[in-house]
Amino acid sequence: MTTAAVYFLLPEILVIATAVTIYVAGAFFHTQWGWGWLALLGTAAAAAVLALQSGRSPAPVGLLYSDGLVAFTRWLALNLAGLLVLLNFRPSADGGAPETLGSLLLTVAGTMLVASSQDLVMMFVSLELISIPTYVLLYLGRRDALNQEAAAKYFYLSVLASAIFLYGLSFLYGVGRSTNLEAIAAALSALEQTSPAFVSFAKLALVLIVAGLAFRLAAVPFHFYAPDVYQGTTHANAALLSVIPKAAALVALLRLGWWAMPGMENFAWKLVLILSLLTMTLGNVTALWQDHLRRLMAYSSIAHAGYLLIGVAVALAGRNASPAVFDGWTAVFFYLCVYALATIGTFAVWHYLGGTRSVEGLDELAGLGKIRPTAAALLALFLFSLTGIPPLAGFWGKLQIFAAAMNAGGGPGGGETGLWFTVLAVIGVLNAAIAAAYYLRIVGVMYFRIPLGAPRTEGDRGALLAAVACAALLVAFSVLPGPLVRASSQAQPHVGQVANLSHDADAP
Amino acid sequence: MSILLLTSIFLPLAGAILLPARRERARGVALLTALLTLALAVVLVGCYPGGTAPFAKTDYTWLAGSGVPLDVRFSVALDGLSIWLYALTALLTVVAVLISWEAIAEQAPLFYRLLLILETGMLGVFTAQDLFLFYVFFEFTLIPLFFLIGIWGSEERRYAAMKFFLFTLAGSMLTFLGLLAIMLWDFYHPIGTPAPWKMTFSIPELTTRYAARPMDPAMQMWIFLALFVGFAVKVPLVPLHTWLPLAHVQAPAAGSIDLAGVLLKIGAYGFARFSIPLLPAAAAAAMPWILILSVAGILYGALVALAQSDIKKLIAYSSVSHMGFCMAGLFSANRLGIEGGTLQLLSHGLATGGLFALVGMIYERYHTRKIADLGGLARRLPVLGFFMAVMTLSSIGLPGTSGFVGEFLILIGLFQRGWAETLPPDALLRTLSVLAVLGVVLGAWYMLWLYQRVFFGPVREPQGQSHREGDSPIFPDHASMVPEKSGQSPQPPVRDLNLREILALAPLAVLIIWIGVYPRFFLDRLAPTMNQLTAGMRQAETRLERTKDEIRMTKECRISKCRMPEDSTDPRFPPPRPFRHSSFDILSSFGFRPLSFAKPQAAFSPLIPHPSSP
Repeated sequence: MTTAAVYFLLPEILVIATAVTIYVAGAFFHTQWGWGWLALLGTAAAAAVLALQSGRSPAPVGLLYSDGLVAFTRWLALNLAGLLVLLNFRPSADGGAPETLGSLLLTVAGTMLVASSQDLVMMFVSLELISIPTYVLLYLGRRDALNQEAAAKYFYLSVLASAIFLYGLSFLYGVGRSTNLEAIAAALSALEQTSPAFVSFAKLALVLIVAGLAFRLAAVPFHFYAPDVYQGTTHANAALLSVIPKAAALVALLRLGWWAMPGMENFAWKLVLILSLLTMTLGNVTALWQDHLRRLMAYSSIAHAGYLLIGVAVALAGRNASPAVFDGWTAVFFYLCVYALATIGTFAVWHYLGGTRSVEGLDELAGLGKIRPTAAALLALFLFSLTGIPPLAGFWGKLQIFAAAMNAGGGPGGGETGLWFTVLAVIGVLNAAIAAAYYLRIVGVMYFRIPLGAPRTEGDRGALLAAVACAALLVAFSVLPGPLVRASSQAQPHVGQVANLSHDADAP
Repeated sequence: MSILLLTSIFLPLAGAILLPARRERARGVALLTALLTLALAVVLVGCYPGGTAPFAKTDYTWLAGSGVPLDVRFSVALDGLSIWLYALTALLTVVAVLISWEAIAEQAPLFYRLLLILETGMLGVFTAQDLFLFYVFFEFTLIPLFFLIGIWGSEERRYAAMKFFLFTLAGSMLTFLGLLAIMLWDFYHPIGTPAPWKMTFSIPELTTRYAARPMDPAMQMWIFLALFVGFAVKVPLVPLHTWLPLAHVQAPAAGSIDLAGVLLKIGAYGFARFSIPLLPAAAAAAMPWILILSVAGILYGALVALAQSDIKKLIAYSSVSHMGFCMAGLFSANRLGIEGGTLQLLSHGLATGGLFALVGMIYERYHTRKIADLGGLARRLPVLGFFMAVMTLSSIGLPGTSGFVGEFLILIGLFQRGWAETLPPDALLRTLSVLAVLGVVLGAWYMLWLYQRVFFGPVREPQGQSHREGDSPIFPDHASMVPEKSGQSPQPPVRDLNLREILALAPLAVLIIWIGVYPRFFLDRLAPTMNQLTAGMRQAETRLERTKDEIRMTKECRISKCRMPEDSTDPRFPPPRPFRHSSFDILSSFGFRPLSFAKPQAAFSPLIPHPSSP
């Protein structure tokens, strides 16, 4: 490793070093407090280094990318890390604070590395860097049968998903004859001419990769774990599960499907589009019947994975057409940001309300508008944003997503593709209306019903701070969405680079 | 002027944020805010010069930045279509605050906060000059109303709030797609040399551009349908009206006033602002259908109103009927009809707003809305009876009140179209015009009958009307008959309207009479904009008729094997798609095809060179 590479990876190194420090020190100092400060410090240091780097863009080093996608993912991951650390600031009654925070930081480092991996093996390892700490987190959260079931379920299914993903990567390796993404891209773009018989293997690889990542996205039909796992774990863990693996999976999907597998787009967008249709419809419709808060949010997160996949489908379909506007990338990442803020905020409010006894059922929120007006107002803000009511940031996300779909539907692509995307947009907006029903139900319970029982005890200040931070950011992005739109639009890597490299590869 | 308009939109929001937490102070500040907003609105109306140019325009960049092609702007202005609705909103909010003065005891600061936030939303809807700014305000109004209905409503308030929200949202999501399509199509069909990477969202700009190069009619139809769903739910047109009676009845009085007075107008406003000027061909083609739905609404609303036993429900259904008139006027494609439709929006807002306020006052006194429980109130509450008479007469459309002017213009417009302006007589239009008149008769029937039952005859009051405190007064299951001549009922007599309530109702009554006696003042201000609208619609209609004629000729030609336009090799004139000559055939006449913004098709051109023309 050269100095340049170390400097480039310094943010990730700092995050991992902080995690390791917390793990090790946790074994010696038997205190439950103060670890949150350390974690925040590590995150802030990583962010500072990232800010220093952002001035000049370092050239790709070794097995790493350093394009817009990497920069965006790193910033997103670090910001999410800050919010999630705040959410986990107060140790749970069972202890385990250092382990919780260390594992959390490792998942964040994994997400940051997924974006910059230029190698199949490194990408797989980065994704595992997210999965394995998550198993630990799930075990740490609570100590009851439901939690054990959730952790075991997540563990086995996640391992299975990783295996499927790896199987897909092995096919990709077979077709591309390299583990380097650039080499694979070059090989695939030449595939039609050199060995057309291999095209079906590339498609098989794509299907397996999408399946493996769909588990992390909680997309149908790999969503079955989500409701049980969310229900069985804590609010803080559910917040992490609904954001971090999704972000990493989206980045990996776009990196592999869009960047590294040229020529597969026409197959890929259809696959993603169908997944998207199924995911959002199933998530939204099933959420209507849920009474358990985290279970409801699990279905909500499934539904939002569906909306995100709309953007991915548009991005894939537009890879060659390269539409002048609404390329899908902006939509995906803008939506991801506002979804993450609203979801983390929702769980943070519940975590805050929990105090000593966790809020579980919908009925426990009855009359919250009267007894806890601030918490109720924050929660209502997050839920309306998830619904996508203007002028909240969720609306701008929906605007981007559906505008992208409509543009793919009637834009230069046209034809049969167009019809598909128009149908997707129509079903998408109808889904948004269905989703309103269950979000509103929560708001209705909070404001339209009389309180049951005594007011809840004062909860965790850190969680409240996280909720307020999410709300402040959401309101800021609601009033001025421009900066975030611009930032998201810069996440798209430039396709010209792949083409040049492929020529280079063909030359010898 | 611009700064006044901007202030008037955001003043209520500022008031809502700064509202004090104590009930007495909160309502005072709320009233002050609403009055200041009204004062600004009055100044703006007074200074409004007429004409078609946007007045008091403010325009800021909002979303656009380097690399962001979405040029969503913060752009507000007034014109002939919006000026009266804007003023109506400001007025009705004052009324809403005044009538909630005593009625709202629980969580009062929150109530006034939501009311003021709602006012900002409604003022924003009518003044927005940007497609997405409009949509932002359009949907945003749902949130405060959802809480207003859900927290302070009557028994079924939770269900009503949910149904209202979901119905409207489901419709408006499709409208959202329609607006996106309008914007995208414009982007892909630039005129001249547009600035690259900029998407125009400005409504006036889009209107001129769409007038310059109309969209392909098949596309228009699709987008019209998408917009239709959202706006028709708001209006509501008849099959989509089921949320209305529930929401109106369950809402607190102030909520009903805003719902009936302003929010229903947003639907009609949307049609007049987007559907007709941007998609004239589709509007012309859909006209018979919309007229059928409107007239169905007029009759259905009136008939159902006749059968109601609840005063509030009766007035809610009368709204369905009256909004049918407004829509029939707007889609009559006749100058008088469109002017009348717009005026009727204002008139309905005043009269129905007043009626809902009065029902609220009756409910405050007797805790019942059942017609059967009440009788002879004119003796007990003469002042209330007087105002009720004014509103009722306006609702019926008695000459000298605002309702007459609106409905009369609408009917004249419809008749002119049916008899004078369609050369091949259109039986459908004539039938609809005659049926619409029937709506006026039915309107007189149910409103006067209501007035007779509640205000005349022997005095009949439910017992326990003095239980004004507490959340659940004991209602008697049966109404007790208090003989009128005995005069000395066991309860203390119910007080008539106090000064506050009179002040709330008086401006409405004054305006109703003013419009009724001297409508020119109001019509002059809205006429130029509306005439432009009419002209655009008529032009599109003429084109549609001409195209139909062309097609008919073509068909006849084909039989006689003469030279036909589709033999023309001129690429500018594509062969016409098959039409069927029926005004009912919206979809098949345009042919169902997938959406396409990008493939530029020849603009909707009726100018197929006719073989016989020189």
